[in-house]
Amino acid sequence: MRNNFINTIIEACGSRDDIFIISGDAGLGVFDQFKEEYPDRFLNLGVAEQNMISFAAGLSITGYKVVLYNIIPFVLYRCFEQVRNDICYQDLPLVLTGIGSGVTYAPMGMTHYSVEDIGIARTLPNLTVISPIDPVEARAAARFALDAKAPVYVRLAKRGEPDVHRQELADLTKPQLLAEGSEVALICHGSIIDEVLRAREELEREGVRPMVVSLPMLQPLDQEALLRLLAPVKRVVCVEEHYASCGLGNILAELKAEHEPGWKLKRLGIPPHFIHEVRDTQGMRKEFGISAGAIAEAVRRHRGE
Amino acid sequence: MHPIAEKATQIRRTIVEMANRTKSPHVGSCLSCADILATLYFNELRLDPWEERDICILSKGHAAMALYSTLAARGILTDKDILGYYQNGGTLPAHLDRCKGKGVEVSSGSLGHGFNMGLGIAYGFKKQQSGRRVFAVVGDGESQEGSIWEGALFAPKLGLDNFTVIIDRNNLQGYGRPTEICSCEPMREKWEAFGWNACEVNGHDHDALKFALARESHGRPKVIIANTFKGKGVSFMEDQLVWHYFIVTDEHLKTAMEELA
Repeated sequence: MRNNFINTIIEACGSRDDIFIISGDAGLGVFDQFKEEYPDRFLNLGVAEQNMISFAAGLSITGYKVVLYNIIPFVLYRCFEQVRNDICYQDLPLVLTGIGSGVTYAPMGMTHYSVEDIGIARTLPNLTVISPIDPVEARAAARFALDAKAPVYVRLAKRGEPDVHRQELADLTKPQLLAEGSEVALICHGSIIDEVLRAREELEREGVRPMVVSLPMLQPLDQEALLRLLAPVKRVVCVEEHYASCGLGNILAELKAEHEPGWKLKRLGIPPHFIHEVRDTQGMRKEFGISAGAIAEAVRRHRGE
Repeated sequence: MHPIAEKATQIRRTIVEMANRTKSPHVGSCLSCADILATLYFNELRLDPWEERDICILSKGHAAMALYSTLAARGILTDKDILGYYQNGGTLPAHLDRCKGKGVEVSSGSLGHGFNMGLGIAYGFKKQQSGRRVFAVVGDGESQEGSIWEGALFAPKLGLDNFTVIIDRNNLQGYGRPTEICSCEPMREKWEAFGWNACEVNGHDHDALKFALARESHGRPKVIIANTFKGKGVSFMEDQLVWHYFIVTDEHLKTAMEELA
């Protein structure tokens, strides 16, 4: 995802001379080619995130399309007030690129996990929030962000995720139907898609075919399109590598409260706690009930309720 | 009277009137930087054509009344704008909002933001090879923010000789003297050690400020440490901590206006 996102940005630099990339001492090797081709359009602002964000906001005021790159805690957490005041309050069209979504970096430790970023980003008006599932959605996110007239936060995992979509996205702002189904819908964002798709395979062998939906754009939410897509199902199981309490599950709970659709909601995600468990990403997913097996089991149980 | 001094008095009168009319605080913080802003707006800044203007950032955004009064004196804000300050349904908030008020270049109010945005703007101007310059007014209390020093560390590397920070060193923050609470002294030596072109002046002496602003920067960003007094120009407010928050009563106003005649 990361490389597809960055490469889409770099490709655009050929026809646009306003794109400027800022990193905060992150992304070893990611920008080597870019720095070679466009040495005047890249800055590493060092390990100083407050200055990085305010500086980027200032550069944006002079007309540059600034793409900021760092791991998520250093894009949103360490410098939250700079993101709030300097970027979102001033409605500057920067691109905030955050790497290492969820527990991608496990077992690096809690400081390097991003399990509440959607919740935090959603508190910021003007900010578009995008969490792609695969390289195709990542490319669409890059194109959207480059054209956006307001700030965009893109939440990425790492590199090497396989393609899920078979063709380029028609419209990133809409929920994406990945597999047809009735009765139950599995809905997710981000790199957890591989667990969701394996859960569906498992269920399919049992004759259960849940609808699978990805929701790359979490804010603003196309409520109407989502409600329409989910209208035929009775059960919605939301899966995310994020705290279950403040991510997409929460968005769906709000949607349910406001619109009273016909479906019941089950939220799967990381229980809100500081993660002291020492496990790799797969191990964490198992531990927190968002592995393929756990998702399939949740669908079985939810159907029976 | 010195032509800038005349403008500074006009700015001070507007500040005290606004503070009295709206019962808003920070009048002392505003009076301390009135001479700095008057010198910038009536001598240093190139504002014509407007699209190509120099940028002045009030990083100590709680002194918004000082900037508003200066912009009004310079004809950038209107009397109507000033009358709507800090009013229900009004025009201008008590901390700066870039969307509210012509000439308000960045939103500020939380300290340690404007300075760093200014560095980014100065860098953008350099990249575009425009001759536009950036000035930022920072408080000495504000200098306790870590972000100031993050930016101070980085700016010399970028050769931002189009950037000047003026530190309004009135040695009074909200709850006491910075030199006692958390001292940034020796300030000049610190900035020099970070690679800045530093100088120290009397921040109420317009000629000294003019001279400091005109100084060659030798390829480096410039810092002017302006020694000032909180509440300057109104005798009973000068160097008094309480005028960070005190409200200007009608009686205060009367005396102040007599002194600012």
